[in-house]
Amino acid sequence: MILALLLAVPLSACAACAVSAVSAVSRRRSVLEAVNVTAFAITFLLALAVASQVLRSGAISLWNGFLYADALSALVILLNAAVALVCSVYAVGYLREDQRLGALDGEVGSHGAEAKLRMYYSLTPLLVFSMLLVTLANNLGVMWAAIELTTLASVFLVTFYGKVTSLEAAWKYAMIGGVGLSMALFGTLLTYYAGHKFPGSEGVAGLNWSILVGQAAQLDKPSMRMAFILVLLGYGTKAGLAPMHTWKPDAYSEAPVPSAAILSVAVLNCAIYGLVRFYVLTSRCLGAQYPGSLLLLLGLFSMGIAVPFVLVQKNFRRMLAYSTIDQAGMMVTALGIGGKLAAFALMLHMTFHTVAKSLLFLSAGNIYQCFKTDLFLKLKGGVLKVLPITGAAFCLGTMAIVGLPPFSLFQSEFLMIRAAFGTAHFLVGALFILFGLGVFTGVTLHVSGMLLGTSEEPRAAWHPWRDTPIAILAVILIVIGFWLPADLLELIRRAAEVVSP
Amino acid sequence: MHTLQDPEFGNKMVTLMAALVLVLQIAMVAQRWIVTNIRLFAAQSFLLAAIANTIAYYNHAPHIYVAAVLTLLAKGILVPIVLERLVARIEIRQEIEPIVNIPLSIVISGGLTLVGYVLAEPFYRPEEAPGAATLGHNALAVAISLFLIGFFMMINRRKALTQVLALLCLENGLFLAAISLTYGMPLIVELGVLFDVLVAVMVLGILVYRIRETFESMDVSRMRRLRG
Repeated sequence: MILALLLAVPLSACAACAVSAVSAVSRRRSVLEAVNVTAFAITFLLALAVASQVLRSGAISLWNGFLYADALSALVILLNAAVALVCSVYAVGYLREDQRLGALDGEVGSHGAEAKLRMYYSLTPLLVFSMLLVTLANNLGVMWAAIELTTLASVFLVTFYGKVTSLEAAWKYAMIGGVGLSMALFGTLLTYYAGHKFPGSEGVAGLNWSILVGQAAQLDKPSMRMAFILVLLGYGTKAGLAPMHTWKPDAYSEAPVPSAAILSVAVLNCAIYGLVRFYVLTSRCLGAQYPGSLLLLLGLFSMGIAVPFVLVQKNFRRMLAYSTIDQAGMMVTALGIGGKLAAFALMLHMTFHTVAKSLLFLSAGNIYQCFKTDLFLKLKGGVLKVLPITGAAFCLGTMAIVGLPPFSLFQSEFLMIRAAFGTAHFLVGALFILFGLGVFTGVTLHVSGMLLGTSEEPRAAWHPWRDTPIAILAVILIVIGFWLPADLLELIRRAAEVVSP
Repeated sequence: MHTLQDPEFGNKMVTLMAALVLVLQIAMVAQRWIVTNIRLFAAQSFLLAAIANTIAYYNHAPHIYVAAVLTLLAKGILVPIVLERLVARIEIRQEIEPIVNIPLSIVISGGLTLVGYVLAEPFYRPEEAPGAATLGHNALAVAISLFLIGFFMMINRRKALTQVLALLCLENGLFLAAISLTYGMPLIVELGVLFDVLVAVMVLGILVYRIRETFESMDVSRMRRLRG
């Protein structure tokens, strides 16, 4: 029952904000904001409840197994619901500031600020709904449809400002995403074919992950081999793995910052989640070697390609996008290494990355709105002087994301490298360290130039809607570096057991 | 035995219609006019629905009828109407300007069909499932060819609207693969996929319209401001 509620809340928020176009009462901005924040707060509480129920009594399912949540789903749901809540609070402050600055009036098209706000506040719950459906759907075909829905729901968030460049970004996002996902659908179809001859797998249940995983060893091997390649290319496009990553920097730098944070963190989690589900099936059917080597190839390539682009980057929001490509590469590499330790490192990394990257995007949004530019050249330093809290948070997030020791991501990356050497993937371990160093150099170089120094801008005031979420995230980031709540750790451990028991 | 009940006859019908689908696809590659392209796509969707019906009839799989009717309504009627209205509204020059010239494009499509047949070969196992289940062995090869030619059309075309059409052809290939491999995906999945296709056409249609307004052209190769 709780699973259905979890889906119903964001969907009704979406409907409520969408119909406000007709009813004059709820047209006011504050109503839209209140509906969003409340809906995401309830979603987060429900996600907590799902997680605790999964911890207590194992996997839960609803409607004949149509919805299904095990530890892996519960972890991703929890992380995504948390991101959605933080971003919805931040969005209130961010969009109000945008409206004050007149950024919503746009160059092209006749959409007024009011229509744009309504669009934002009804598409974001739709996006969150589709992300929750990805993680709750047991049927791999429904999961595919939900992932496609995340793209469709967010296309108009990318074109939000109606600039020429946003159209270009949205076109790339929709087309590359569409082609990629059509490959994933072919892969899903082949998976269905691989298992459809078993008795009892006729109809809807034939694509249910919880059933397929039990029969994985008897699935048709040649079809699974082809299916995994197609799914890897498809969901890899969604995760932004190189060479299908080109839409990513464009979409993230054109979308409003809270949406970019959701896209970069929560949608990435969904794509990795989809890959993990298929990896489990394929590795139980064909052994871990075959899917592992393909994942390692794409993962390391993504990490490698991020290095030069981070080094020469001129725009800090695009730099964050390349950092996300790098992180996605790391997660896929960890999945490819295989084994208990790597799976645990992957889940840990996903958790830490969720906190650190949303912190970075949100503080980047503050910097962008204060200095009205996202180019390093025009910024010329002084962020710490003008925006002490945001600057400190950005600095903290950067140190975490490049994997400096006291912070959380160092632990997960260290575990990944240990797993690589432990399973005799020496080249993988060496390349991992090399690319990690490259990104480290690029990011610290740019960010230190941006944060330090002086600036003529006056010191900015405290903005409660925008600065509180950032401060909370920064505190969480510091705390999880040293201490994870026992229940969360247990959830991460169980999620890793789904991947490699 | 009545001819209509003979599975051999059904097999021949499916093969014939699959061949026609392939011919339509290559005609789309060769065709210069956008509106004709849209109509060819509509005809292709009609044929796909007919193939689905035939397979449903000979395999006694009632849920495929539903999928067939929905495909007919969505891709055979609704999507072409939406696209034609879009073409009328944006008043574009009606010609497609492919990057590779048309004769060479046709040769490439022929090559891709060959690749499709090679890729479909491992899935043909008459000894495992004799009788009606061999229906549509050729259909799978055609499906993979449609998928590959769809990819090629996507790369080969510069205009936003024709890329949308190529994406739809990819999707048609997937539908044909689904009915020839497994007699259709579960109905709920088909519904999800069709819903997504419809929403995608709406979303892309709005984007095309706005690109046309902004760039005074639908040529996506002119959109190159975002780099690095």
